[in-house]
Amino acid sequence: MVTKNTTIHKFKLWFTITLGVLLLFISFIASLSVGAYSIDFSQVLAALFTNDGSKAASIIQTIRLPRAVVGLIIGACLAIAGSIMQSITNNPLASPQIFGVNAGASLMVVIGVVLFPDLAPNTLVYFAFLGAAFGGAVVYYMASTGGGMTPVKLALAGITVHLFLSSLIEGIVLFNETSTEDVLFWLAGGIDGRNWGDVQLLLPWTLAGVLTAMILSKSLTILSLGDDLAKGLGQNIGLIRGASAVLVIILAGVSVAVAGPIGFIGLMIPNIVRSLIGSDYRLVIPISALFGAVLLTGADVISRYIAFPAESPVGIVTALIGAPFFLYLARKGGRSS
Amino acid sequence: MKWTVRLLTIAVILVLAACGSSEEGQEIESDEATGSNNSEETQSEENSGSEETRVIQHEMGETEISGQPENVVALEFSFVDNLASLGVTPIGIADDNDKERIIEPIQEKIGEYTSVGTRKQPSLEVISSLQPDLIIADMKRHKDIYDQLSEIAPTIILPSLAADYEGIIDSFETVSKAMGMEEKGAEVLAEHKDKMETLRSQVPEDEDRTVLPAVVADSGYYAHNMESYTGSLLESIGLKNAIQSGDDRYNKINLEQVVEFNPDVMFHMLSGEQTVVDEWKENELYQDVSAVKNGEVHQVDRNMWSRFRGLISSEKILEDAISYLYE
Repeated sequence: MVTKNTTIHKFKLWFTITLGVLLLFISFIASLSVGAYSIDFSQVLAALFTNDGSKAASIIQTIRLPRAVVGLIIGACLAIAGSIMQSITNNPLASPQIFGVNAGASLMVVIGVVLFPDLAPNTLVYFAFLGAAFGGAVVYYMASTGGGMTPVKLALAGITVHLFLSSLIEGIVLFNETSTEDVLFWLAGGIDGRNWGDVQLLLPWTLAGVLTAMILSKSLTILSLGDDLAKGLGQNIGLIRGASAVLVIILAGVSVAVAGPIGFIGLMIPNIVRSLIGSDYRLVIPISALFGAVLLTGADVISRYIAFPAESPVGIVTALIGAPFFLYLARKGGRSS
Repeated sequence: MKWTVRLLTIAVILVLAACGSSEEGQEIESDEATGSNNSEETQSEENSGSEETRVIQHEMGETEISGQPENVVALEFSFVDNLASLGVTPIGIADDNDKERIIEPIQEKIGEYTSVGTRKQPSLEVISSLQPDLIIADMKRHKDIYDQLSEIAPTIILPSLAADYEGIIDSFETVSKAMGMEEKGAEVLAEHKDKMETLRSQVPEDEDRTVLPAVVADSGYYAHNMESYTGSLLESIGLKNAIQSGDDRYNKINLEQVVEFNPDVMFHMLSGEQTVVDEWKENELYQDVSAVKNGEVHQVDRNMWSRFRGLISSEKILEDAISYLYE
């Protein structure tokens, strides 16, 4: 680790964590407070702990709270997935979206919904996993041919696969006209209407994923120093990469299964976090999770204002913020962290 | 030498291109010439009858139509309704490849027809194979293919998808004018207005309950506000819509908003087996909504209530609504 400026480094670390927790609190409360039905701030706080039988309490507890929680969980999942991907590919542009993981998962979910309309969400998740694996594999293969994966190659391969898979999705949607409205909104990615059932679905996969990520985090840090160095230090690169890939598929897959393909969180957050606290993945992963949760929840609050009081997909807001960020990263030359 | 060759090649290409386009132009011109010759002939032949060339104003400009079109292609359901009211069977309908979408009262009125595909993407080939003499298309869906449609037959573009009840009446009048059946059209319209008056009288003066028509699907609850076709129709007989604002006519709303609007009567058009309402039913907030509490949630046919926007269907919608509310 960096031995110079350790004090400054520590300060930055604690500052970042505190900032993250503060923002988390603010966006969480905001998520509970904003909605068509106006509710006082005091009622919001009260409803978190008790149920006084009022409409306000019901709304908070059954509609807004699960939505906020889903936002936190999925934001964290996507950010962790992104940070893992950036670590194993040594490429700051890597993210579930760029890697076609989102698009692949979406395609399989759409196929699942169209072929088996009565499928339970718990089973739909496996479609998402399959699709995520498929999308990621194709992009990885395409980006690695011709000697090494440069950031630019990755971006090109990723966008190509994303567009191709999106066209397949749109084709399926077009030919199943009844499902059109059902799917279009979902394809932009949104967490409106998520309930406690979705939280139940997410929790086991997320916990398993986060746990595994933390176990892997030390290896990921060593891996980011370069393949040769890592091998020299006794790391089993193949195993680490394989386990990480499975992890990404699970985290991104379950997010897409619940909320559709939400983009740019996995891209932005790890880069921002690494620029603040360095590349120790034992820290990057949990702090990315923290800020990922903040970003998604905050974006969700903002998305409610686009066409208030009607719902808008949160994917719009993340894209609005994320696309310029992506351009900035790509222009920087894609220097690996 | 090399440059001369290149210049020559470019020149040859340009000449070929110009030849090609002017040939096409000549072809089209000669087609149009024969076309207008034909109509002139028809005019001079059948001048004894009530044939004339009418100029119909529509959303994309003006179209000339002569005589009484016999082979009409309708690219939206509201136009099918309009034609059926006039007693005309269209030769082709964009029925989304599903004959079941044509509601019963209209199925009985019209006979066999040929499907020209989906309303979103009608097949131009099938349309032209039917050799129509009039095409009626929707402003929102088909304005981009207006030119291509016009090459097949005289085409008029009217608002259908984005029209409210008043707009549908206007479209009906234009359709009857285009068909050269203005008299019959006026008759039918008068009958319709009478029927609407009768239906309106069945709604008590002091009816102040709010209604909410909505399409309910797996992905969400799409409410039709007071400017939508169904909403404006119900409003026209005194049934106030629960949503009195909003830029879009069809908004996806969540449970919180339904609680906020608290409609007294809900008309749900089902899209799919499983819908969000099935999830909401387990939430006490939903059960507290006025319409649910009072057992005034009615499932209605989406084809009738939303897809077919015309005189016949609007009468049926109101008959249905009144029987749900007052019988």
